Amino acid sequence: MPKIKPRVPMGEQPPLQRIKNFKSVPYGYTEDEAVEEAARCIQCKKPKCEPACPVNIGIKEMNLLIAQRKFKEAYLLVKDDNTFPACSGRVCPQEKQCEGDCILKKFDEPVAIGKLEAFIADWGAKHKVEVEEIVANNEDKHVAIVGSGPAGLACAAECRKFGYAVTIYETLHKAGGVLQYGIPEFRLPKDIVDAEVKKLEEMGVKIELNHTVGQNIYYYELVSQNDAVFLAMGAGAPKFMGIQGENPLDGVYSSNEFLIRANLMKAYKFPEWDTPIDVGKVVAVLGAGNVAMDAARTALRLGAEEVHIIYRRTKEYAPARAEELHHALEEGIIFHELVNPVRFHGNDDGFIDYMELVKMELIEDKKGKLRPTPIEGSNFYMGVDTVIEALGTVPNRLFLDKAPEIKRDKNGVIIVDENHMTSVEGTFAGGDAASGAATVIKALGEGKNAAKAIHAYISMHNN
Amino acid sequence: MAFKITKMIDLDSIDFLVDVEAPEVAERFHPGQFVMLMTRKEGERIPMSVMKVDDGKITMFIRKLGKTSKELRDGMTSFENVIGPLGNGIEEKAYGTVVVVSDAVCGHAENYAICDALGKIEGNNIISIQTFPSKKEVYPDEYLTKKIADRHFITTEDGSLGDKGSYVVTLKRLIENGVKIDYVFGGGKLPTMKAVSTVLAINNIDNLFTTRQMMVDGSGMCGSCRVYIDGEMKLSCIDGPMFDSRKINWTRAMKRYGMFKKEEKKANEYYEAHKGGCGQCQK
Ligand SMILES: Cc1cc2nc3c(=O)[nH]c(=O)nc-3n(C[C@H](O)[C@H](O)[C@H](O)COP(=O)(O)OP(=O)(O)OC[C@H]3O[C@@H](n4cnc5c(N)ncnc54)[C@H](O)[C@@H]3O)c2cc1C
Ligand SMILES: Cc1cc2nc3c(=O)[nH]c(=O)nc-3n(C[C@H](O)[C@H](O)[C@H](O)COP(=O)(O)OP(=O)(O)OC[C@H]3O[C@@H](n4cnc5c(N)ncnc54)[C@H](O)[C@@H]3O)c2cc1C
Ligand code: SF4
Ligand code: SF4
Ligand code: FES
Repeated sequence: MPKIKPRVPMGEQPPLQRIKNFKSVPYGYTEDEAVEEAARCIQCKKPKCEPACPVNIGIKEMNLLIAQRKFKEAYLLVKDDNTFPACSGRVCPQEKQCEGDCILKKFDEPVAIGKLEAFIADWGAKHKVEVEEIVANNEDKHVAIVGSGPAGLACAAECRKFGYAVTIYETLHKAGGVLQYGIPEFRLPKDIVDAEVKKLEEMGVKIELNHTVGQNIYYYELVSQNDAVFLAMGAGAPKFMGIQGENPLDGVYSSNEFLIRANLMKAYKFPEWDTPIDVGKVVAVLGAGNVAMDAARTALRLGAEEVHIIYRRTKEYAPARAEELHHALEEGIIFHELVNPVRFHGNDDGFIDYMELVKMELIEDKKGKLRPTPIEGSNFYMGVDTVIEALGTVPNRLFLDKAPEIKRDKNGVIIVDENHMTSVEGTFAGGDAASGAATVIKALGEGKNAAKAIHAYISMHNN
Repeated sequence: MAFKITKMIDLDSIDFLVDVEAPEVAERFHPGQFVMLMTRKEGERIPMSVMKVDDGKITMFIRKLGKTSKELRDGMTSFENVIGPLGNGIEEKAYGTVVVVSDAVCGHAENYAICDALGKIEGNNIISIQTFPSKKEVYPDEYLTKKIADRHFITTEDGSLGDKGSYVVTLKRLIENGVKIDYVFGGGKLPTMKAVSTVLAINNIDNLFTTRQMMVDGSGMCGSCRVYIDGEMKLSCIDGPMFDSRKINWTRAMKRYGMFKKEEKKANEYYEAHKGGCGQCQK
């Protein structure tokens, strides 16, 4: 085994600088840096990284092409498997996927696959490499897509390549789903998302913004006017703790409200932009997933003096991407392990004043799983001005209530078969709407696969 | 796409009427529903009631308050977005004797839409009560529900016209006089709604009132518009906006509405300082 060079470090805004702005934290690799990093890949005979990627990108070849400075070829290769590499390269939980299984991990840090993917995607965009080709003319066949998150966008791109007339219906006034309203600018610049959306429009995909299916346009209308429908509404409705005293306090946000105000409505540019956001001096974020990290780091950038993450397990169980947790800690966010809120207390104005918490311990249950369990009598208090509940999300019932014929499980997650088809023939579903909150790359992959199933379905019915 | 403003007239010293072209919204609107406006790309998504729809246009009453409405008054000719209709419309059926009450801009718009729709249905006897601060703030006749309701009352807070006080005074009088009321719809100021909810509870009258909570997306995604109905959390935008006033936790609803007072003041000051449009201050 030759000695492996260390990973090429990625330039980043220093923590004390970046907490004062919303600009991207990493600067991205330069061409030379990317070439050097890609050359670290030892070109395994049986690359373990590839099966660990949910869309099985040809990682080994991508690395080789980048190392040989064949950037265009590398870009085309990646685009062939993944509709939006610029997004997945930045937001995939790589340590649990491709990089988690890279052989180099045994000796040193794995190849920075995500960063190379983001590099090559940005390179392709910068050099305006064309890839999207419409291979057939099927314009007389119509596909309606509900939701413009990664699942909807990927499905749209793919259906359009098959030549269908595609219309996306989106509730909000901007397309992109979580990529637009949830994940902050400093992690995924909105220029990138907007550029991807624009490319789709240039391919001929129609995007009807401000159209909420189930509200101002109905599912049955989509069914009657289209040859297939793809449901990609995500799982965007907030969950609340439901603990005592929570009801009704101001200063208690769902992470969704907080992030929608900050990202979609650009409250960080208030008052030039009109939407306000109220961030107190001391902010507590409940939860330790990506959403919690995003909310915490956003709160810091909006001027909070102290931001606390409240988590009932220990750091190593935090579901957030490793990089986000690392960045958050670097930025000075205070992580409280093994604690759980039990009660909120308000002041006379109805604003949150302090929280009562209880200490937790991890106790093995019968199945051998470690369960966070409250330690009796360990209650303590913490003064806070703002609480952000980042406890995960569930499918929005607005649409589901109005289309009862579509079968779903008790959590509201749409049930699909192996071809992504729902209980209604010709209606398909994918992304978070059909799996519960998951990942961007999973949604992208499902959108693309569903398009293939839709193509097969329409072709079959055509004959 | 811009939504063209086709009419903007002063109703009185505090409210004005705006007509905007929004054919898709107009086509699907039902009384009780609302829309969200964005004045410009950087604007807030602000919820608004609809007074009537006509020929692809929707009519709204907008209060001269806050930054957004000031912008409008200062010569805006179109909106960036008119989104909707959102929320649930009322059931358009025969109720019997229906009283529709309002004491603020959004309430008056809804009052009109509801009287108009229910008045066309046989079996409805519509009584409309509209409250204004004083005689000089009363809207011109054609924008009141005078012509479309079977009976119409005006009350003023200072007593300069009609009963002195809010619509609650007149409603109570009707009840005392033995008018059998089958249903009440209403909207406007939160404290008045809180007060009327007690009257309706005592007299056991079915009703629906608009809670008017702070909203962001208007489609069930943010939780900002949460209200507590019989102790259970509901979202005004998708479960409402109208609820049985007897079941609403009004104290709570009123506190939440004040959440962004500080920020609104800042937005106002900013707008006042920058509306010149020279661009100097943007740097
Ligand atoms: C703050 C945050 C951070 C995250 N960070 C990461 C990360 O770092 N890495 C990662 O892999 N994953 C992350 N995730 C998860 C990831 O974003 C989601 O799994 C993914 O976006 C799901 O994609 P989707 O297309 O299924 O749905 P979404 O992205 O949720 O898009 C659904 C779209 O449908 C629209 N819609 C909903 N209902 C209707 C309707 N009735 N009519 C019309 N339109 C409708 C919504 O407005 C939305 O635009 C994060 C999620 C959040 C919230
Ligand atoms: C269902 C519904 C129907 C409404 N109908 C009307 C109407 O017909 N006419 C009308 O003039 N107003 C109506 N409103 C209230 C209107 O949305 C607010 O007055 C508006 O957002 C104020 O914006 P601004 O920038 O002018 O004022 P700001 O300075 O931003 O705020 C002024 C006040 O408006 C309230 N407010 C601010 N933002 C919101 C928001 N996003 N959602 C709800 N309230 C807010 C707050 O109480 C605040 O104190 C309605 C609200 C709801 C929820
Ligand atoms: S899509 Fe995600 S998992 Fe696959 S190679 Fe890229 S970063 Fe890794
Ligand atoms: S596992 Fe690692 S070293 Fe092997 S091919 Fe994949 S990226 Fe290269
Ligand atoms: S306005 Fe966001 S949930 Fe109602």
